Amino acid sequence: MLEAQHLSLSISDFSLLQDINLQLKPGVVTAIIGPNGAGKTSLLRLLCGETKPSSGEVIFNGILLDQWQPKQLARILGVLPQGSPLNFPFTAREVVMMGRIPHSTGLEKDTEIVDAALESVGGSYLDKRPYTQMSGGEKQRVQLARVLTQIWEPDDSGDRVLILDEPTSAFDLAHQQLTLDIVKNFAQQKVSVVMVIHDLNLAAACADQLVMLDCGKIAAQGAPEAVLTTELIEKVFNVSASIGVHPKTGSPLVIV
Amino acid sequence: MHRYSPIKFISLACITLVVSLLCGLFSGASDIPPSKIFGLFASGHMDMDMDHRILQMIRLPRVLLAALAGACLASCGAVMQGLFRNPLADPSLIGVSSGASVGASCVIFFGGVSLIGSSLGLPAIAIGAFVGGLLATSVVYKLATSVSGTSVATMLLAGIAITALSGAVTSLFSFFADNEMLRRISLWQMGNLDGADWPRVAAMALVAIPLILVLPREGQALNAMLLGESEARHLGIAVEKLKRRLILLTALGVGVAVAVSGIVAFVGLMVPHLVRLLIGPDHRYLIPGSAILGAALLLLADTLARTLMSPAELPTGVITALLGAPFFVALLLQQRQKIVV
Repeated sequence: MLEAQHLSLSISDFSLLQDINLQLKPGVVTAIIGPNGAGKTSLLRLLCGETKPSSGEVIFNGILLDQWQPKQLARILGVLPQGSPLNFPFTAREVVMMGRIPHSTGLEKDTEIVDAALESVGGSYLDKRPYTQMSGGEKQRVQLARVLTQIWEPDDSGDRVLILDEPTSAFDLAHQQLTLDIVKNFAQQKVSVVMVIHDLNLAAACADQLVMLDCGKIAAQGAPEAVLTTELIEKVFNVSASIGVHPKTGSPLVIV
Repeated sequence: MHRYSPIKFISLACITLVVSLLCGLFSGASDIPPSKIFGLFASGHMDMDMDHRILQMIRLPRVLLAALAGACLASCGAVMQGLFRNPLADPSLIGVSSGASVGASCVIFFGGVSLIGSSLGLPAIAIGAFVGGLLATSVVYKLATSVSGTSVATMLLAGIAITALSGAVTSLFSFFADNEMLRRISLWQMGNLDGADWPRVAAMALVAIPLILVLPREGQALNAMLLGESEARHLGIAVEKLKRRLILLTALGVGVAVAVSGIVAFVGLMVPHLVRLLIGPDHRYLIPGSAILGAALLLLADTLARTLMSPAELPTGVITALLGAPFFVALLLQQRQKIVV
């Protein structure tokens, strides 16, 4: 389990996040929503240990996050950034294989996992294609497959966590859906998933828990039905919206 | 883009290296029959006639020095390109070469013709160059390092600034130098292996061989670095330590290579680039592949430098630049057609 206790972050007197408390339990999908500049990405950075909080603590499986051995942590914490600066012509397979760097399970096993991960993101056809020649969406899928490969199987080190920063931003409708299915599938295998997502309806469709950030503070937290209300959306996003119900899934539907 | 199997490529490069070693030993100002060259390796007890002496005291150290310096420059180049995440980076980016220029010209200028002409001249220039190179690199490194770690982007800019400053200082030395000194300074900057002797081979080997063995082990970590620094960190790589270690190792490697051979252009930039085009960017193969090909190419270039206008010698760096630059342009043009943005 990944836990945030009284997290605050300020950079040169400018407060980015204040007193954030979160619990990311195994098997639960958490979506962080909020307007631009609300601190979503900053929060993700604190949760994955990339930035140190000004005060408060991040506790991962009972141990302070910065006390973990980097290699051990990498076996159970996968992080998908918004975009990667990779500009060398690695093939898709080589990029995805890098997800196995923290593991020492042998080439045969690694190859098996890479095959499965590439297939799960619908990227098997990319196999030998150079990364530098792919479209934005293809690159994003290869990166997703890499991160999935990293935490593909349960590890002795503890519960697994998957952190995704806008995983669907470069995707068409079919691949957005595919990504959300993958996320749910991982959650079913006792992985805690936390992601930043802009599309409120996508968030409502796949998350068990929504965290709505407003100016560095948690404005609301809980089940999608409780968080996505006309009043809160009006207050936080500054738009008047109507809330409907998805005819098939029953999850809330935000119509602006 | 078609790729060759790394193992096949490395085997071919090894054969090329052996052939160029033999070429280097065979050719030179005086004709030495091949039988003597094989005799050199075959027996320890030989009559020390003139040919043997030329082989032992001149050609053998020279080909070894060329091979070691080439291997060192090319593998350091591969590491730099990975570290800066830029396929066009060059070891001189971190200020080594320009700092070494200042060091060398400083020694030539203040040592004067009397020192330079003596037997202490060349070692003094080499030491000056080495110290200058390390000083410049440490300044660049310090400038780019803050509490939050070393920024490779700042390092690139700091490298450019220090290179400009060093260039100005070297020009000042040249401006006030007399004719003989000026000639020495510019000859040194052209890159030349004519000072090859056993002590230099030993110094170069002492640095190059461990470096060539150690650097490929960082291959996997460098691959991860290409994804981005935070991505590498999330893959369990100790990024700050890795950067510090690699900058130190390459500064040392390039520093010594420049100290013994002057500024030999293009080897560190071109060889890794070429190898990457042939076998792909995986550093586990790229670094050893670059080392072997770099050794072979500098050796061939140096052999050309010795023989083209024999008995006169051309500066090796001029040959590498003359051959390297058009080749590099051809590569760029070829790539431009292939790149799909």
